[in-house]
Amino acid sequence: MDIHPILEEWLDHWVWPTPFKGPGVDFRMRITKERCIPMWNRIVIRALEGAKANEESYNSGDYSVALGGYSAEGPRMSMNQMSTQLLSVPIAQQEEYLDLLRMRARQLWDEVKHGSLHGDVLIRGGHVDAENDLMDEARANFGGSRGYFGLTATFPLIHPLARAAQNYHTEAGACLGIRCSLEVNSHPLSIHENLSQHYEEMMHFIEGKYQMDMFCLTPEDQRPVEEALDFLLWPPFIESRGVIPED
Amino acid sequence: MPTLRIDHDKCTECRMCLLACEEIGINAVYMELEPRHRFEIDVHKCTYPTCVVCIMYCPAPGSIVEDETGRSLVPPPPDLWRDRPKKWLRDAILVPKER
Repeated sequence: MDIHPILEEWLDHWVWPTPFKGPGVDFRMRITKERCIPMWNRIVIRALEGAKANEESYNSGDYSVALGGYSAEGPRMSMNQMSTQLLSVPIAQQEEYLDLLRMRARQLWDEVKHGSLHGDVLIRGGHVDAENDLMDEARANFGGSRGYFGLTATFPLIHPLARAAQNYHTEAGACLGIRCSLEVNSHPLSIHENLSQHYEEMMHFIEGKYQMDMFCLTPEDQRPVEEALDFLLWPPFIESRGVIPED
Repeated sequence: MPTLRIDHDKCTECRMCLLACEEIGINAVYMELEPRHRFEIDVHKCTYPTCVVCIMYCPAPGSIVEDETGRSLVPPPPDLWRDRPKKWLRDAILVPKER
């Protein structure tokens, strides 16, 4: 498999660097090479194609693609996703999982901001005059795929290390997708809606990397990650997110 | 010895450096008692370049720098991870946490 240069650079910057060695690091490296990279490579190729189409759309004054972002990344998804993470960990154990309350609060703040950024693109682009007008747009109020945000948007309770797997695998895809958009798109409104999201997705990806390196030390700890990847790489789930799997 | 500082123009205040530093028992990253409660690095506790854990888990490019040279350490330059021997995780943790 030829690894795309964008992915190659990203791996060198964010995936391979570790501060120590250990079973968690070895485990993460194995699943990265065997399970994640083939899909990440597909995501990059598809994201570059999508970014080109998006640039053409924005240059022609059609900002409707931001409607999907507005519906998907707003408060509803955030509450769904963040409450799953909080519900999945007993209060006494929450401190063990990355300062859960504060990081989830930060994530909620970011996700709501993303919805606002997409809304801002739609207003600045002239698609609507005010955010209230989006109430009349079905595409701004309907998330087409329940599984779009993965396990935490689909199941009310998941193991915290399954969440780490989702952070690692899915948010890597988000980071790479945004990276591709920023590489291809020069339209100021496209950069406007993508740049701040990039920081938030990076935070989640690194959170997953850290949890696997630090906590996936035994086969028992590693099982939730493998099972989460079984779901995230399950062909019907991948197809629902628009990335066609390689046979 | 070189020391680290946080570039607040680049830092997104995600807390990863604080959490990672705390997890291995060094506790050099702290929240400053000023109105914005920004994160800072206590150079008297930080063991950089022996420990580079905050650098490896920082997601915001350019937000941790080597104070003396101004060199950005995020994303981690190869000399900090590719070209140096690494300790085992168990040897890096000073105060193991019960899980």
